[in-house]
Amino acid sequence: MVRVLLKFRGKTVTQPVTSQVILEQRVPINILAASIDQSGGEILAEIPDQSAQKVIESFKAKGVEVKVGELIVVDKERCVDCGACYSLCPVNAITIDEEYKVNFDGNKCLGSTCGLCVDACPFRAITLVR
Amino acid sequence: MENIRTIEEINDKIRRGDAVVLTAEEMIELVESKGVKVAAKEVDVVTTGTFGAMCSSGAIINLGHSDPPIKIHRAWINDVEVSHPGAAVDLYIGATQMSETRPFEYGGGHVIEDLIRGKEVELRAVAYGTDCYPRTRIETTITKYDLNQFYLLNFRNCYQRYNCATNGSDEIKYTYMGKLYPRYGNATFSGSGELNPLMKDPDYETIGVGTRIFLGGAQGYVIGEGTQHDPKSGFGTIMVRGDAKKMSPEFIRGAAFTKYGTTLYVGIGIPIPILNERLAAKAALKDEEIFTDIVDYGVPRRDRPKLGKVSYKELKSGKITIKDRDVKVSPLSSIRKARVIAETLKRWIEEGTFFLTAPVERLPRDTVFKPMKQIEGPVFLRSIVRPAVTCSEDEDLEAVASKLIENSVNHIVVTGPDGKLTGIVTSWDITKAVAQGITDLRKVITRKVFTALPDETVDVASRRMAQHGISALPIVDSDGRVLGIVTSEDIAKLLGRR
Repeated sequence: MVRVLLKFRGKTVTQPVTSQVILEQRVPINILAASIDQSGGEILAEIPDQSAQKVIESFKAKGVEVKVGELIVVDKERCVDCGACYSLCPVNAITIDEEYKVNFDGNKCLGSTCGLCVDACPFRAITLVR
Repeated sequence: MENIRTIEEINDKIRRGDAVVLTAEEMIELVESKGVKVAAKEVDVVTTGTFGAMCSSGAIINLGHSDPPIKIHRAWINDVEVSHPGAAVDLYIGATQMSETRPFEYGGGHVIEDLIRGKEVELRAVAYGTDCYPRTRIETTITKYDLNQFYLLNFRNCYQRYNCATNGSDEIKYTYMGKLYPRYGNATFSGSGELNPLMKDPDYETIGVGTRIFLGGAQGYVIGEGTQHDPKSGFGTIMVRGDAKKMSPEFIRGAAFTKYGTTLYVGIGIPIPILNERLAAKAALKDEEIFTDIVDYGVPRRDRPKLGKVSYKELKSGKITIKDRDVKVSPLSSIRKARVIAETLKRWIEEGTFFLTAPVERLPRDTVFKPMKQIEGPVFLRSIVRPAVTCSEDEDLEAVASKLIENSVNHIVVTGPDGKLTGIVTSWDITKAVAQGITDLRKVITRKVFTALPDETVDVASRRMAQHGISALPIVDSDGRVLGIVTSEDIAKLLGRR
């Protein structure tokens, strides 16, 4: 599965773009999280590997900005492995290993559609990719 | 119990390079496999470590004199006010003092870290001017190399253990124990348990004034018990001093707790000399034998409700049980760094660069942590609550408007047939309805109502009103039945009387 962050601004906010893409491409898209504020909307979705390319092209053609890749960046210089963030993650993307190192799982993280850990970091080491 | 070795003998072995040093975790393994007797015989020193937020920390600096000289009255470093505890140019940088331009994000703790990193900081000071110190203003930049003294001087550090914090209220709480979700949604704890320095010598047989320690990556000293030292409850603390010029940002970090403020993370390690079997047994105390209370930080009182006991073993597992539910728990101190500290201290002793000291005076074991003496006790809402003017959902808007006028109030509490709160209507809502030609009361009722309980304090109620920009709080019982109302006017009057 490929994780993509879909960004809706202007006209695309009110259009049923995601449904259109699903119908046109006949690909099951798994919506993991969605959020909306005054600047627009965001959907974090999973697309099957083999159809990722054409689905992404289809979203882009409809005016949706598509981001693929890391959803958060953790500054390992700042992070001291305190784990303050650990209990705040609703999807268990943050784990503490046997050596008490704090690890972030990019395949589970909901990124900017969640962001609950960001203000809990005493060292401001977590940044959302927008 | 007879001692089997002295600190002098241990130092001789360190000098010869054959002292046996284990970290507290290694000591636990040894005692488990070979027993206390053998461990006491074999091991000279057990090293400990902790790296956590320690708010009662700071640094004393001496700037040297300017020309013409200034007797500083108020001073700021990187916009963080620093205090003037001494004569002319001695300043104390408090860890929790916040920047006036970047409050809650940058503070005294960050200034200390920046200085340790060798960064240049901006100093600004004002004075009233005297015959001997005529200068009234100064602005300059400094680094740690420009300072005469730069000493970390922390008046309460290194808690023996600490509470586990959770939040039973309906609102998210941002505390010095981190971000706490409502309804016991998560929990946090502090301290390193079986690695915690004071936990490994809980009767302070070897710790006191003059004990040499690992402090912030350099060698420092215990200079006495810390403030709020509470040995009888197992919450001992220490006061420490160390040369910050020699410290490392790896073990001293400024930190920011959202909506609480800034602080300093301090790394401390204490070497425990194994003088007898008793000390060997205590140094081998395990996480599962160290307990602390789960405390509800949702209740903003001095004595917060305790919800049960939990061991550091459970805390370090990442999950505890609160009210029969699994709750994820975050450490706030870095246990990885605590390990690094215990290992570093071990290496220093093995390499012969760190020698042990006997305390000149042991930490007290009988002091009591008293609460503040107050002239007035807390004021509870139950003592100022007034009857609420109420209405039901199906009343006429005009009738409700009349109620406002007749009772000279601004808030009408909407209740159901069972007396439970269903909404609130203000004079503003009615005015707006009239202006917009709305006649149905239901359309103007606010459904999301902030309330308070009668045994909450006035301070909490006024904070809640300010946070949500509202002017009254219906007072309800635990079932949501309306008992009355408290308005911001009531509170203003009360404060005016004080």
